[in-house]
Amino acid sequence: MRRVKERWGRAATQSTGDAEAGRARAGAEAGGRAAARRTQAEQRERRVAAGLSELERWLADQIGQGIAPARQTGPADWDDLARRLVDAQAPGVAGTVTRLSRVLAADDWPSLLLEEYALLHLLAVAYRRAAALPGPLRQTVRARVGFPVTRESVLATPAVRDHWDVVGTRDEEQERLVARRVWLAGRTTGRVAMVLSFAPVGQPLDPFPPPGTTIDADLAFYPGASPLRALVAERRGLVDAGPPPGTNVSRVPALIAEVLAADPWTDSWPLVLAGVIPCQDGLADEEGNALPLHPSAGVPWRLLAVSGGRPVTVAAEWTPRGMLPLTTWDEEGAVVRL
Amino acid sequence: MVTASWEETVSTALVGADRRAVPPESLLEQAAEQVVRMRAGRRPGRGGPPAPAAAETLPLVPAAAADRLARMLAGEQSRLLTEWLETAAARRVRVPAEMIPGLLDLGARDRSIRACVGAVTGARGRWLAGLNSAWAYLLAEPAPVPPDEVWELGTSGDRRAFLTALRRRDPAAARELLERGWSAETPEDRAVFVTILADGLGMADEPFLEAVLDDRRREVRQAAADLLTRLPRSRLALRMTARARRFVTGNGSGLRAEPPPACDAAMERDGVRARPPAGMETRGWWLQQVVAHTPLSFWPGHLGMPPDEIAGAGIGDWEREVRMGWTRAAILQRDATWARALFEAEPLTDLLAVLPPEERSHRAAELVAGHPVDGQMVMMLGGVPRPWGHRLARAVLKKIVETTRTQPWNAGELIRLAGERFDPAMHEHAGEVPELAATLRFRFDMLKELA
Repeated sequence: MRRVKERWGRAATQSTGDAEAGRARAGAEAGGRAAARRTQAEQRERRVAAGLSELERWLADQIGQGIAPARQTGPADWDDLARRLVDAQAPGVAGTVTRLSRVLAADDWPSLLLEEYALLHLLAVAYRRAAALPGPLRQTVRARVGFPVTRESVLATPAVRDHWDVVGTRDEEQERLVARRVWLAGRTTGRVAMVLSFAPVGQPLDPFPPPGTTIDADLAFYPGASPLRALVAERRGLVDAGPPPGTNVSRVPALIAEVLAADPWTDSWPLVLAGVIPCQDGLADEEGNALPLHPSAGVPWRLLAVSGGRPVTVAAEWTPRGMLPLTTWDEEGAVVRL
Repeated sequence: MVTASWEETVSTALVGADRRAVPPESLLEQAAEQVVRMRAGRRPGRGGPPAPAAAETLPLVPAAAADRLARMLAGEQSRLLTEWLETAAARRVRVPAEMIPGLLDLGARDRSIRACVGAVTGARGRWLAGLNSAWAYLLAEPAPVPPDEVWELGTSGDRRAFLTALRRRDPAAARELLERGWSAETPEDRAVFVTILADGLGMADEPFLEAVLDDRRREVRQAAADLLTRLPRSRLALRMTARARRFVTGNGSGLRAEPPPACDAAMERDGVRARPPAGMETRGWWLQQVVAHTPLSFWPGHLGMPPDEIAGAGIGDWEREVRMGWTRAAILQRDATWARALFEAEPLTDLLAVLPPEERSHRAAELVAGHPVDGQMVMMLGGVPRPWGHRLARAVLKKIVETTRTQPWNAGELIRLAGERFDPAMHEHAGEVPELAATLRFRFDMLKELA
């Protein structure tokens, strides 16, 4: 992103200089295009700024008057708000607002809704004060707001080579598209990554090695304060490496704290846990420490079946409301997708 | 603003910050800080991990068979699941753990597969059944390998398996074991335990079974009465014979029947149910039950005719009830001679089950050749267990080919049934009916993987 902006900056400087010097036609056209792009970008910044300050006011109104009526009026209000945010070219925030109605299904919806409102407020304020933020956090904010990041710009950053364990995958249908998330964990760097791909419903997604495999690959990460989303810059081949190493349950809170300290909007983070005894509502270690499961996960019967009350390795998605199990490895090291 | 607890913050947000004179922006800011702190600072809770499952005693099913089971559970050829499960249970192998919950769900819906599900899900299946009440039925199914102390401590399924195995080895020991603790058993167990005595049944069991006729629970009494009719010298058989002697008599060329005037306490004790099923005449119902519980060996001497003549004789009034009684008796007493005679008079599917496999196939084949495909034929064939003998299979294949030419819409159900019941080696000869050949080929591969 920053790279792109720098190029825009250079082009802009060039174009003004060239116009004065009365340079060649081709150059003038390029300059014209650059200027148009700059105008477009500035226009977008203004629109987003206006949209988010409206969001700030809207949130303050809601909190001022009380969120109790949201149960009835929320969905219509949020649809309306999301439309205005789309018009304001902030699709990331619009998406978050659209998903707000999901909280109403929970018993503790006021608490969940306040969490969402507070984080939206934090995002709008962060965008307003972006100039004062450190670079990576500014990029996180811009990405959450919905500024696009091009593949080329991501691929242009230095890639991270490692043996990446494919630890989980999930397909979700959204607006006639299937979104596939593939989570990866690096053997030597200890980093985790998520590769996102899309295909129209009914059409096959690009094939990706299944959970349980290990790939030797270079990953290029999208910029941000807690980078997770990545592109496979180069795939070098499969590695026969066995089940992935995992973290202890007791280490998870510190790890998540670190992730959230860098990017407070993080709502999903892959974890590979070793020595986990699955319970009906959580993932425990042998000392009895346990991470709760997400309420929507239900009892993880297949995971319980594989473990039989004994420790196994489990890959799971951390979310603010609890863990969502993805994959497990049985005592013989065989992989089971959950 | 002083730091409020999260609950207070939520409560202020619910009623409105304005009402509590809190600036909304500062409430949102404070909430944001609290949210991040809560999410990041979440300590692991204290979990209650379940006690570990017992070790498995059976080997795992081969990988190819497990893969096929996964595909079948996902919907491919799912009608063949029962055969997969029966075969795996007979081979004494267990399924991979991750497939157990799916199978336990199936068993919760379909009672008929529970015994096989119990056998192939091994120790892990029973462990899971202890955690989920929807699967608790599994604990009533016999475990693959009942250990020795189960009679005292096991689940009812374990104890049934133990008693079954002991009965096979030593019939008297099994009965004596049962008698010792009889009064402490639950009614459900008592009813099942009595049926286990069918294996190796003899006059030595008669005193015990006669005593069981006084059980408080009808199902238990009924089970004992059904067994006693198989012992022509049992006291129950003699009492029934005395009743039958009065109610069905020969009158020269034909037969005559007269239903019992009442259902007395002695009849009820012998397993005659006083209340008829809906739509049945009460006295006729009593007559049918008396005939059904009378040893078939009594009739030729009493009526002066061999079974085939009796089965073909006219009776006049109550003919239907008497025939139903004989049919039921032939099935209960597993009497092939009577089953054959009754089948000649009226081809009832239930009777086929009593005949030896070869003959069963032969008779069904004759029926198939002479009838158009209809619901009744499919139902009759549904009563013939797999694998169908060559003769029947050839007759059915011929029928399918004919019907596919003339009335293709009528062949579907028969093709599906044939796919389940034919010897799968016939896949090579079923090329004229691709759907049938594909199913047979699937079973052929399936059984090979499980071998």
